[in-house]
Amino acid sequence: MMALSDRTALFAEGLAAAQGELFPCTSWEDVWRYAVSLSDEAPVVSPAAYEQLQRGALPDVNDPLRSIADRAVGITEAALAVAETGSVLLIEPAPIDRAVSLLTHHLIVAVTEQDIVDELADGFRWLARQPRAAAYATFVTGPSRTADIERSLTIGVQGPSRLSVAVLA
Amino acid sequence: MSASTAPFRVRYRRSVNDPDLRPRLLAFQRSWRESRDAQVRRLEQRSEQSFDELRRNFAAVKDHTLERMDEYIAEFRANAEAAGARVIELATADQAVDYIAEVCRSRGIEVVVKSKSMVSEEIELNHELEQRGIAAIETDLGEWLLQLARERPSHLVMPAIHQKRQYVAEILGQELEREFDPDDIPAMVASAREGLRGHYLSAGAGLTGANALIAETGSVMVVTNEGNMRLATSLPDVHFVTAGIEKLIPTWADAERQLQLLPRSATAQTLSTYTTCITGAQPGKEMHIILLDNGRRAMRDHEPISDALRCIRCGACANVCPPYQVVGGHTFGHIYTGAIGLVNTTFHHSVADAAGPQGLCVSCGACETVCPVAIPLPAQILDIRRRVHESGHAPLWERAALRLWARPRVFNALMGMGALASGMARLVGLARRDHLRLPLPKRLRWRAVPTLPLRSGQTLIRARSSQPTIAPAPANGQAVDLFAQCLADRLLPSTVDAAARLIEAGGATVNLPEAQHCCGLPAFDAGDWDTARTMARQTIEALEGNTRSVVTPAPSCVISMRAHWPQLFADEPQWRDRAAAISDRVHDLAEWLDGPGHLPSGCLIKAGSDSWTAHRFCQSSNRGDDSARIDQLVERLTGEHALPLAEPEVCCGFGGLTSLAAPEVGEGILDRKLNCIADSGCDTLITNNPGCVIHLRAGAVARGSEHETLHYAEFLAAQLPKQPTSSSPPPISSLLPTLSLPPISSFLRKQEPTNNHHQ
Repeated sequence: MMALSDRTALFAEGLAAAQGELFPCTSWEDVWRYAVSLSDEAPVVSPAAYEQLQRGALPDVNDPLRSIADRAVGITEAALAVAETGSVLLIEPAPIDRAVSLLTHHLIVAVTEQDIVDELADGFRWLARQPRAAAYATFVTGPSRTADIERSLTIGVQGPSRLSVAVLA
Repeated sequence: MSASTAPFRVRYRRSVNDPDLRPRLLAFQRSWRESRDAQVRRLEQRSEQSFDELRRNFAAVKDHTLERMDEYIAEFRANAEAAGARVIELATADQAVDYIAEVCRSRGIEVVVKSKSMVSEEIELNHELEQRGIAAIETDLGEWLLQLARERPSHLVMPAIHQKRQYVAEILGQELEREFDPDDIPAMVASAREGLRGHYLSAGAGLTGANALIAETGSVMVVTNEGNMRLATSLPDVHFVTAGIEKLIPTWADAERQLQLLPRSATAQTLSTYTTCITGAQPGKEMHIILLDNGRRAMRDHEPISDALRCIRCGACANVCPPYQVVGGHTFGHIYTGAIGLVNTTFHHSVADAAGPQGLCVSCGACETVCPVAIPLPAQILDIRRRVHESGHAPLWERAALRLWARPRVFNALMGMGALASGMARLVGLARRDHLRLPLPKRLRWRAVPTLPLRSGQTLIRARSSQPTIAPAPANGQAVDLFAQCLADRLLPSTVDAAARLIEAGGATVNLPEAQHCCGLPAFDAGDWDTARTMARQTIEALEGNTRSVVTPAPSCVISMRAHWPQLFADEPQWRDRAAAISDRVHDLAEWLDGPGHLPSGCLIKAGSDSWTAHRFCQSSNRGDDSARIDQLVERLTGEHALPLAEPEVCCGFGGLTSLAAPEVGEGILDRKLNCIADSGCDTLITNNPGCVIHLRAGAVARGSEHETLHYAEFLAAQLPKQPTSSSPPPISSLLPTLSLPPISSFLRKQEPTNNHHQ
């Protein structure tokens, strides 16, 4: 096990290599304020993030059940993050859980710093113990991409074109 | 008929006539190699294991699962069905298509959105569903572009790598009815959202492949980059998974092991953007997991091929394949492309479908070095070639040529006639730099035709007195059999002579076994094992009956004796033992000079300094033979350093019969090599296999390059004091024995100088 700060630094490195961005913050309110600052359009939130934000009593948070396709900014929550690869693990058993991470252009994923694990193997060990989480679990490493046209790397295809990970201290 | 389903010869001609394909694939291979190597180095550092250990560990997991396939299928089925999925085992492509079509029909599904699945390509699902009135829409950008163009993937991971952006702009323009700027790739990429979103919403089913099926929980793991797979499994109510039974692995820990290797080998990513694991049907939805056999159990039960079932479809074998770079995947493969396609097509499709591209493989062995599951692809391709040959799909000219080659007298007579004709050509000024000045057709002009010297290597050796010892080697005083190699003896006699002189310089004496000819490699390579056996038996008979070491300047013959002979005689114990008795005492010359025939460092220091570089014979290098490192040997003996050469181990393009059967492939690979050589700025290129010397020299002459091409033996022996020729037999007499006149030939042999060292 490496030190927390080392792990976070390594995670930031992996995330940057995958064209993602790290956003350090201390509370869900910070996450919300950051999301609001990004676009004139109100952010959309996943059910998991909604629950967290409700606790912060932020009155203008949208209900996740509204239409969210192609909205500018979305917020969701990760079960853990992997320092080795710069990945976040999204547990999204129902399609509604996935809507935000699938359809928004700029996805913000919040993860608690304590939940950053060293390696992918740790992430898989965690998953193997969580049968319900494994119903639909995705390690997301950076924004969606393709190099299908003349090998030219293009960020943002059918999923988000920007990925920010909010690491909650 | 679409571009990729035409007969092989048509596909071949199309790909070699595409001027953009070669440079595009060359740039791809080079950038992949660089990023993949960097990824693998980081992985090795982090895991404190070598790539070889990592891949062998995971290969062991795959092998274990394959051995107990039925148990793991049962475990997977129980767990997946407990989680609400349906698991269907099907034997054939038709059954898989019928099952999917029937589910669609009974649910009233008219549109299926697809994430990338090679199994669906294998069973030609899109076409089959279309026949039944169901639209299957590809949603991976590359696959979608192929579908719009009615083409097949030309690469396992980069399916549309053959398409030019101008062409992409054209097909997108037709589909979406607006203009696209070919230089604005982001705009073309963005159009996928627009073009596909409606399909996701209207589709009744989504179909994906599987990178792994995890038995302990019944989970399906899929690795993607675009996000389309998650859409295709989230919006429609039915999820089909099409997977080969070989995708099973026991545990989540194994899945993680696979991920260490897969993205790094496929796209040189640490991890792909989305690694999705799905367990069971989602509430209110259906999940149908189709486990397809389609020839896989037959592969498993066929010894040299069974390891191919470890394949995780990363495409690395294509990314290092020199002929793939020249012709692309529509030609180098069938539906599965690259080296693995040359192997598994026979089982998933047919021998006829596999036959065409077999002759394109140069047997360089690069594929095996990068395969993340250590599949012995080169050996498997040779096995498939045997099937192709035995089923009558090999070209007639090839079969005829090999039969002639197998008869030493005919071979020698032809070579003798060639030598006479070459002599005449020289007299009338039709030869330059030891090559004929012939008006060749354009597609053959890249390689000059070498003249045949009048005297063979063995004749040269017999005609001179022995080389004085410069430093006694461990084998000082021993007699050594020199196996000249059939090609080198006739085409590179001075190389054969140089090899003998280097052996003699260490104090050993050189014996030239009578009736030595060919080890059988050309026939083995072509899949003609009967002819290969005939040739191997001749060689065994010529070399047996003593315990002398056998040394050859041709590392390809050493590989043939050590690796191919045991296969040729697997069912003939007596011959197997006789073959082993020879291969146990055979040495490549470089091995000899560092081992029993060790020459001391710095013993061949040159007066003037030459700038030289070395091409390492690809097959030896890729097998990990130390003897391939001829640059190190030459540095040790001469004290001179080689100039750096890019891609020193990439094949030169000779590839045995490949450069004859597919001249454009020989030319394309040679061109890549000669450009690297030109960039090195060398005066002399040295290499270690006679075939490479002949090919590289003929190519250099044809393009007018100034550098000289030499076998390292000749380069080194040039530093030895010259030995006077004790008598010079008239050239014609050296040819006569080859014209099958036994009485005269035996008479002439008696007339030859009887040097003590030529026993």
